[in-house]
Amino acid sequence: MRHLPNYVVLVIVALVVAFPLLLALSYSLMSESEIATFPPPVLPQAPSLDNYATVFSTIPIGRYLLNSFVVAGAVVAGQIVTASLAAYAFSFLTYPGRTLLFFAFLSTLMIPWEATIIPNYITIRSIGWLDTYQGLAVPFMATAFGTFLLRQGFLQIPKELHDAARIDGASSFRFFRSIVVPLSRPALATVAIYAFLSTYNQYFWPLLITNQPLMRTTQVGIAQLRFEETLRWGLVMAGVVMVAAPTLALLIVGQRQLIRGLTSGAVKG
Amino acid sequence: MSHGGRPLLVGLAYLAPSLILFAAFVFIPLGRTFYLSFFNTRSTGAPTSFAGLDNYLELLTSEAFRTGIVATVLFTLYTVPLGIALGLVLAVLLDAPLRAIGVFRTIMSSTIAVSAAVGSLIWLLLFNPSLGLLNHMLSLVGIAGPQWLIQPQTAILAVSVTTIWLTLGTNVIVLLAGLQGVPQEIYEAARLDGARGLRMFTRITVPMVSPSLFFLLVVDTIAVLQAFTQIHVMTRGGPVDTTRVLVYSIYLDAFQNFQFGFASAQAVILFVIVLALTVIQFRVVERRVHYQ
Amino acid sequence: MVVLVAAACGGGGPVGAGPSDLSAQAPGKDVKPAAKITWWHAMSGVNNDAVNRIVDGFNKSQTNIKVEAIFQGNYDDLLAKLNTAIASNSAPALVQVYDIGQAYMRDGGQIVPMQAFIDRDKFDTKDFEPAVLNYYKFQDKLQSMPFNSSSAILYYNKDAFKEAGLDPEKPPATFTEVADAAKKLTKKDAGGQVSRYGFGPSIYGWLFEQLLATSGAPYADKGNGRDDRATKVLWNSDAAKKILSWWKAGVDGGYFYNPGIDNDGAANAFNAQKTAMYIESTARLRGHINTVAGKFQIGTGLYPRPDDKPKDGGNIIGGASLYIMKSRPADEQQAAWEFVKYVLSPAVQAQWQSDTGYYPIVKAAYNEGPSKEWASKYPQFLTAVNEIRDSPQNRATNGAVLGVMPQARQRTQKMIEVVLLGQATVDAAADAAVNDINAQIDKYNKANP
Repeated sequence: MRHLPNYVVLVIVALVVAFPLLLALSYSLMSESEIATFPPPVLPQAPSLDNYATVFSTIPIGRYLLNSFVVAGAVVAGQIVTASLAAYAFSFLTYPGRTLLFFAFLSTLMIPWEATIIPNYITIRSIGWLDTYQGLAVPFMATAFGTFLLRQGFLQIPKELHDAARIDGASSFRFFRSIVVPLSRPALATVAIYAFLSTYNQYFWPLLITNQPLMRTTQVGIAQLRFEETLRWGLVMAGVVMVAAPTLALLIVGQRQLIRGLTSGAVKG
Repeated sequence: MSHGGRPLLVGLAYLAPSLILFAAFVFIPLGRTFYLSFFNTRSTGAPTSFAGLDNYLELLTSEAFRTGIVATVLFTLYTVPLGIALGLVLAVLLDAPLRAIGVFRTIMSSTIAVSAAVGSLIWLLLFNPSLGLLNHMLSLVGIAGPQWLIQPQTAILAVSVTTIWLTLGTNVIVLLAGLQGVPQEIYEAARLDGARGLRMFTRITVPMVSPSLFFLLVVDTIAVLQAFTQIHVMTRGGPVDTTRVLVYSIYLDAFQNFQFGFASAQAVILFVIVLALTVIQFRVVERRVHYQ
Repeated sequence: MVVLVAAACGGGGPVGAGPSDLSAQAPGKDVKPAAKITWWHAMSGVNNDAVNRIVDGFNKSQTNIKVEAIFQGNYDDLLAKLNTAIASNSAPALVQVYDIGQAYMRDGGQIVPMQAFIDRDKFDTKDFEPAVLNYYKFQDKLQSMPFNSSSAILYYNKDAFKEAGLDPEKPPATFTEVADAAKKLTKKDAGGQVSRYGFGPSIYGWLFEQLLATSGAPYADKGNGRDDRATKVLWNSDAAKKILSWWKAGVDGGYFYNPGIDNDGAANAFNAQKTAMYIESTARLRGHINTVAGKFQIGTGLYPRPDDKPKDGGNIIGGASLYIMKSRPADEQQAAWEFVKYVLSPAVQAQWQSDTGYYPIVKAAYNEGPSKEWASKYPQFLTAVNEIRDSPQNRATNGAVLGVMPQARQRTQKMIEVVLLGQATVDAAADAAVNDINAQIDKYNKANP
């Protein structure tokens, strides 16, 4: 009971943060006629799933979700591998030019997307990867963000562990694989979540390199729900809910993993 | 064996997968963009004649560019510090070992699952001056809400609020992970020394999560400097160019006006700005980060 | 005698600024059409279904050619993608590009003008709506085939008119009439806040272009860019300044609502009865009727024009058209033309109109069943049709062609914003905008010789 004030604050804050999404859900259950009223509505008078039915009949949302999942999954796998290897090189290894290389990595985050998208389109086209999962995934399998995040995490691992392993005669890679990686589960989970979501939420790249409806992804799908001559808020919100729902579900599961990893005494010494 | 030779090879071996991908999909395209920035280009992007530094000179002396810098600076200042601060406050709230805290953690980090396009659409709905809920709710408590996206002074605020909301999930997750990594012994020791409440927060909590704070500072700044979708959906760079941040200006010149040479010069300049800012952050701020 | 001369002069303007017969640009008449071609378009939702209906109909009607229609995002994204595809030599055979992409398509030298096929086959365009055709001509040669055409009209709330004591069957037609009606239609609530504005146009460059057209004033020089490449824009003309002053007076006076650049917001405000009138494309008519769902009666009127109703004033067609790409081999170009001819058949045109609300290009379509049903279901639509038919055809009403049209449209929006916010006088804002875009035009002309 003495925790009641905490809960009250938590509930209020949670409502504020979740409000936009709750609104999307609410509007997805309303008709266009109901949305276009003043004062603006909050809850639907006669909630209906019509908008959801229309989404299904307007775009192949199931296929889009599948494609997005496959591509995002591939990017997650790729990023976990490349980022953990690179982060190790930036935390436990020493060699000339390390700082410079780290900045080179970070610099990839600073390049405006417009500068790379067209040359990349031309590259992907010339190796025949248009309309393929590889074309959608491979360019994003390296990540400076993930590398940076893991580097921060690896730097928190006590030097004594590294020294101990070296004394034991373990090779660099062995240390990496058996000690560093397992200890960094929360950070790795964060990289995975982030990689998944940013790939899942891409629009321009999938639009550019896919022509086949069967290869398209969720954000292109949502754009298809925005019609040139009229904006149907209910329909768009239904699409939004359908596309965000799987990722929210994933977040719920991922959250628990994160917590479990964090409370297993990872870095408490 | 040469002094730096073997370690360098080992280092490069670990970096190779990332470096190869970056070379192919980031550095080489960047090189092409850099090259194009010195040319006049046709609508299709093909260079027609050498322009030397003309594109750069035209940019640096243009009013539109100055407006763009101002918009970018304001947008960054409004969004990054507040976003991180809010993230920290929420993370502290969520650090408590209360029952069902997992539910709250999920809710408060849920914005990470929302794409910029989707989030911008919802906030566009909210900010609508007459039909948006925001102004309606404000009017219920007697405040006449501004014409958010139409007034030059408030448009950038509206885009800022949207961006803060979108990045809240990331900030909360990273800071929560950072907080959870702080050993309980440290808090106990401090409590024995008499630290409470705010003092505990500023003397212990903040330094202990400073690696995460630093990480978010760098990453959020970079992300905000590249934030395009919110502006595209909500304001298109207006009203009167007050939200025409550099990255949006590049989009307009590359994909609407088809002036690739000119857009390339802007991209190079933006890149240099972001790079300089990040170097400064590392040199100046990382010094005060407390690694365990 | 007069009829002969009129028929020979077509859209009006200097004749013979190039070869008079473009047949040579089309593939030979006996080239066998390709078995498969791709068509990129920007039609989503209901219009997407309508597009697929046309394509399925064509594919089923013969076995020689198969057309594949692919949605490529909205008009902006489609053009960006097309530009990229052109750069890497992977453009489709047929593509839908919006009205303001004309100059870009033509100046890029990437298209086979429709005129080439028309000349080669001596294709009869007598039955086509002249207004629609004229928009897509340069130096009197048809560059692309109009596909989804709309125009701008005044939408008004008949119930609100009755309430304010105005005749619901007599919508205002001139600037002053609109302002007067708007004043009467504006109402405030108990707290003094405006609960309904009389008139709520969004800051949309296209609407400004239309207002110049109804004023009979050109947007750019060189015959609005249709006789030769334009070198400057003419937004500081008296007609343009009159438009800006009228708009500003309305907003300052509190009877015009300013939704900013949010076109959907303006439409929504009308649906929610926050505004009693507004101006927009006929393409929105069906959406309005569906959303309003009988809550009030929707009326349509002529697009506002200056008080002296200049006789040169009229409306410009909007929408998008189909282009055949030169980079594809001759057999694909041939196949594309075959498909275009199918799209132009009256039955297909009538069905397209019925499915989407866009105009038919061929007058014969109005005699077909679906078109007649449409007319009886949406009588409001007739306003638009008549408005276009009654427009005199001259360079002002043909609409402007500019290589920098997308920037120009954006710049007019900024100009209007500046005026409405009171940041500059009408004169200063117009001059600034004109100078900016003239510089861009210079740059464009130099970069695209």
